[in-house]
Amino acid sequence: MIKFIQCTQFINKDLDMYHIESNTPALARTSNLNEELGQVEYIFSDKTGTLTRNMMEFFKCSIGGEIYGTGITEIERGSLERKGLKVNEANKSTTAIHEKGFNFDDARLMRGAWRNEANPEICKEFFRCLAICHTVLPEGEESPEKIVYQAASPDEAALVTAAKNFGFFFYRRTPTTIVVRESHVEKMGKIQDVVYEILNVLEFNSTRKRQSVVCRYPNGRLVLYCKGADSVIYERLADGNEDIKRVTREHLEQFGSAGLRTLCLAYRELSSELYEKWNEKFIQAKSSLREREKKLDEVAELIEKELTLIGSTAIEDKLQVGVPSCIETLSKAGIKIWVLTGDKMETAINIAYACSLIDNEMKQFIISSETDAVREVEDKGDPVEISRFIRDLVKTELERCLEEAQHDLHTLTGPKLALVIDGKCLMYALDPNLRVKLLKLSLACTSVVCCRVSPLQKAQVTSLVKKGARKITLSIGDGANDVSMIQAAHVGVGISGLEGMQAVMASDFAIAQFRFLTDLLLVHGRWSYVRLCKVITYFFYKNLTFTLTQFWFTFQTGFSGQRFYDDWFQSLYNVIFTALPVIIVGLFDKDVSASLSKKHPELYKEGIQNTFFKWRVVAVWAFFSFYQSLVFYYFTVTASQNGHNSSGKTFGLWDVSTMAFTCVVVTVNLRLLMACNSITRWHSISISGSILAWFLFIFLYSAIMTPYDRQENVYFVIYVLMSTFYFYLTLLHVPVVALLGDFIYLGLQRWFAPYDYQIIQEVYRNNPEENTRTEHLEIGNHLTPDEARSYAITQLPRETSKHTGFAFDSPGYESFFASQQGVFAPQKPWDVARRASMRQPTHLQ
Amino acid sequence: MEMEPASSSGSSGGSQPHSMPSRRSRAFYRFTQQNLPACKPALTPGLVIITFLLLGIIFVPVGLVCLHASRSVVEIVDRYDIECIPEQYQSNKMSYIKDSTISKDCKRDLKVQSHMKAPIYIYYELENYYQNHRRYVKSRSDKQLLHGLKHRDTSLCKPQEMSNGLSIVPCGLIAWSLFNDTYSFVRGTTAMNISRKNIAWKSDQDHKYGKHVYPFNFQNGSLIGGGKLDPNTPLSDQEDLIVWMRTAALPKFRKLYGRIEEDLNAGEVITVHLVNNYNTYSFGGKKKLVLTTSSWLGGKNDFLGLAYAATGFSFILVAILFALIHVKNPRPQGDATFSSWNRKTSAR
Repeated sequence: MIKFIQCTQFINKDLDMYHIESNTPALARTSNLNEELGQVEYIFSDKTGTLTRNMMEFFKCSIGGEIYGTGITEIERGSLERKGLKVNEANKSTTAIHEKGFNFDDARLMRGAWRNEANPEICKEFFRCLAICHTVLPEGEESPEKIVYQAASPDEAALVTAAKNFGFFFYRRTPTTIVVRESHVEKMGKIQDVVYEILNVLEFNSTRKRQSVVCRYPNGRLVLYCKGADSVIYERLADGNEDIKRVTREHLEQFGSAGLRTLCLAYRELSSELYEKWNEKFIQAKSSLREREKKLDEVAELIEKELTLIGSTAIEDKLQVGVPSCIETLSKAGIKIWVLTGDKMETAINIAYACSLIDNEMKQFIISSETDAVREVEDKGDPVEISRFIRDLVKTELERCLEEAQHDLHTLTGPKLALVIDGKCLMYALDPNLRVKLLKLSLACTSVVCCRVSPLQKAQVTSLVKKGARKITLSIGDGANDVSMIQAAHVGVGISGLEGMQAVMASDFAIAQFRFLTDLLLVHGRWSYVRLCKVITYFFYKNLTFTLTQFWFTFQTGFSGQRFYDDWFQSLYNVIFTALPVIIVGLFDKDVSASLSKKHPELYKEGIQNTFFKWRVVAVWAFFSFYQSLVFYYFTVTASQNGHNSSGKTFGLWDVSTMAFTCVVVTVNLRLLMACNSITRWHSISISGSILAWFLFIFLYSAIMTPYDRQENVYFVIYVLMSTFYFYLTLLHVPVVALLGDFIYLGLQRWFAPYDYQIIQEVYRNNPEENTRTEHLEIGNHLTPDEARSYAITQLPRETSKHTGFAFDSPGYESFFASQQGVFAPQKPWDVARRASMRQPTHLQ
Repeated sequence: MEMEPASSSGSSGGSQPHSMPSRRSRAFYRFTQQNLPACKPALTPGLVIITFLLLGIIFVPVGLVCLHASRSVVEIVDRYDIECIPEQYQSNKMSYIKDSTISKDCKRDLKVQSHMKAPIYIYYELENYYQNHRRYVKSRSDKQLLHGLKHRDTSLCKPQEMSNGLSIVPCGLIAWSLFNDTYSFVRGTTAMNISRKNIAWKSDQDHKYGKHVYPFNFQNGSLIGGGKLDPNTPLSDQEDLIVWMRTAALPKFRKLYGRIEEDLNAGEVITVHLVNNYNTYSFGGKKKLVLTTSSWLGGKNDFLGLAYAATGFSFILVAILFALIHVKNPRPQGDATFSSWNRKTSAR
């Protein structure tokens, strides 16, 4: 239907959903899902880049057991404010540097001050690790101000930027070397360029969750630098130094609770014999043809052990604008929001807190594999035992939670429930035996957070709800790791943000910011749903009415199948006489204004419950079309009996059928007018136009004789009809009687069982809230030239982004980066390892 | 409101006067922002009651007027198909009607109940006669009726398009089954004048039937359907045929036969001499003769008047009912406590 395309016009051009900063309007990529936007009950959201801004800023770090960094994250501020404390912005010291990817302030480290710290050597290792262990490409001029880092993920760029600001400026990369301009290393103020030879790069991937670089110092020292998720790094640490490990772990938890993303840094000194021996295996693995990746991983295991912990970094992942209020509105609308993220549990829970998904009144069920018991079993290292243990754990936990949840549900005043589950447990919970329990439990919860989940699990969870609960689901995400989730849900929404276009390409709708989801769902989705229901039920009604009149006639033709109406009436009924008004309604009908539907998110519940397209609604329409068709047929036919006018002449079949058809057209069009919530000029034009079109048609049609050999049944019929009083009396009477039923029904319904939107209409009937929209209109009408231009640019055909990114510690970290432009053009020695892990992700194609 | 560009967007740095957006683009803007001006009708109880009351007030008088018109019509209906068969053939009507040697004359006396003012219309009424049967309705050629033999393709007329290898004019089942009972009326001893002209719609006569098309090879086949036509009268003047060819909508229908141009007084008895040619016995049809006067609305048909009056009264009734309910049990307009979410929470 044409209307869907028109709906996309609205979504794409809505100024409310236009993000000026990134110059992106909303984009509807499919046109047939608009109505599902109005019925979404479950939203599956990615965290990174969706709820959060994906602007990674180096925020804090812990080096050798000491925390550096004075900033307060928004999440901390939020939790403090919840406790009732007001936090003032700390005064920025003069050393504070704030650039993209770096929001760190601690006088103890900046400008070489780290030399005065207790352990400058470990600081040095820390900074070198940051500067060397990465896959970032420098671009542009080789000066600290102008260089641009091309990184696979914003985290990496943030880390390298941090190193730059600490005085370890990485500025050049050749196939085998990395050049770092180091300041203050030997003594304060001295700047020297150091060339590190990169011997091997052990690429990051989602199973390894770490990345290592083996490099040789100019003085021949061989070091392996490794950074990665705390869990994997801690497994591989050398014995001893328990203090640092413990303190750093505390710090990690502290960072995590502040909503920061953490990475552990470690290094290992290598002797050349050990390295040579290992390198042989590495080359062997690298050149093997089959299962290269697995072999590479195995080889990497051999060297990535007995590491020495340096410290950890904490990167702030900023929340997007308006996310908490948006989520609050959406949950008021009865939409349940699930966060599926690859982040750590603490980060995920904190983001959930910050987004007001979880609050302290909620009862939390946490099913986690990060418990001491699990760790103990894992330490034994028997995979069968591990899986058995976790499965049992998950099962008992699920059963316990489910029991409690059901208990709470039975008591009316029970608290809202929240479920937090991590990827490892989810793996077992998604097992067919436990799946039902998981579903029951999660449906009982108002919010669910799944952390450490892989893209596949995101999709599994989505389809679990989609298939299990049979509710409309919506997935929103921005990264390549969300693609499977976006495709699994009914409606996929991509955020056209920093993480590239993969998600947008896979999505049905693309918006620039998470908060536009309110507009997309509550306004556009709701309208589309209401309109579509109206259009469909109306189509159903008008055709049923029309066909039923024909049906009643059949009874009186000896069941011979003679048509009541002329062929042309029948064919043009849906094409001309009743087509346009319903399209207009599908486009323009507006029960409550946009601002009101955002102000009263509860209205959205009508969509979730599918209020306007229940069997009951359809049955009511069907009943009235039944009634109307009886009126049309029997009234016109009975009144046409015997002679007419004073001439005594009688009517034939075609006179009666033309009369009936006129009544049908008039009534059906007027019925639509009754169904409208708002009547614009276009409504009146189209409805009167349709009725006029009928008369125009019949005047012409019955005035001409075609040269073709056909029955001229309708010749002059309308003129004959119009010469009688019968015509006028019937034309006045039949539509009124036909609509009487609907009118009474609508009146009673509105009176005694009003829909929510009708109440809202009444509330605002006397003080129409037009101001909010009109203001917008004014602004919109006078876009500044710049804005107008930028808006115009967005309307140009789009190119796909050249740069694709991914979240660093999310399991979806696959080397898209390398597959993008220019990175792998020549065969580089250190690139071989990277190549090995560089699978072209299949879901891209 | 669209005249002050400076007030609206303060952010525009060099507040140069923007040209008024053209009407067209403004309309398009409103379209895309879904912000077209609209009025919002709401079916409030007051509105409903007033609408009903108004409609009732209009409809009742119209209905009464129509009813009066219909009631003023005097009608005599006489079923003759059974009575016009002699005693000995009552058990075997088919042999009677098929035997062309038996005289089909029949005499009926009609008593005038009340004064009938000229013109009095003579109808024949057939019942259980499916003129609206699909095969029947199809079987005609409008082109041939207009152009006669010049129009050769008469395939539409099946199964009555050819006879003895020659085309039939007019062809088709409808024409073939032309009604051929005839009526003449005697008042006392003098035969009454019946006008058989101007019984068909003028448009049919002028445009659908040829002025120079004469019946040809009509009713010459082995199966004789109904009436014969005068081969020397053009089709446009064969008004009986024209009336017959305007097929009826229902299996029970009346067709105009002629007009009596003189008044009939109450209590008078007129004698009808009819020729009972038409075979309705094979399918159990009924034949009736109808004499009726006419009003401005037409023949006797109470339906319109009754319907109007009934709807009008029910409108008023519903209006009163609604008003009573509204007074007794009003739902405050726009009270948000009635919304579903509030109701649910209060129920808890």
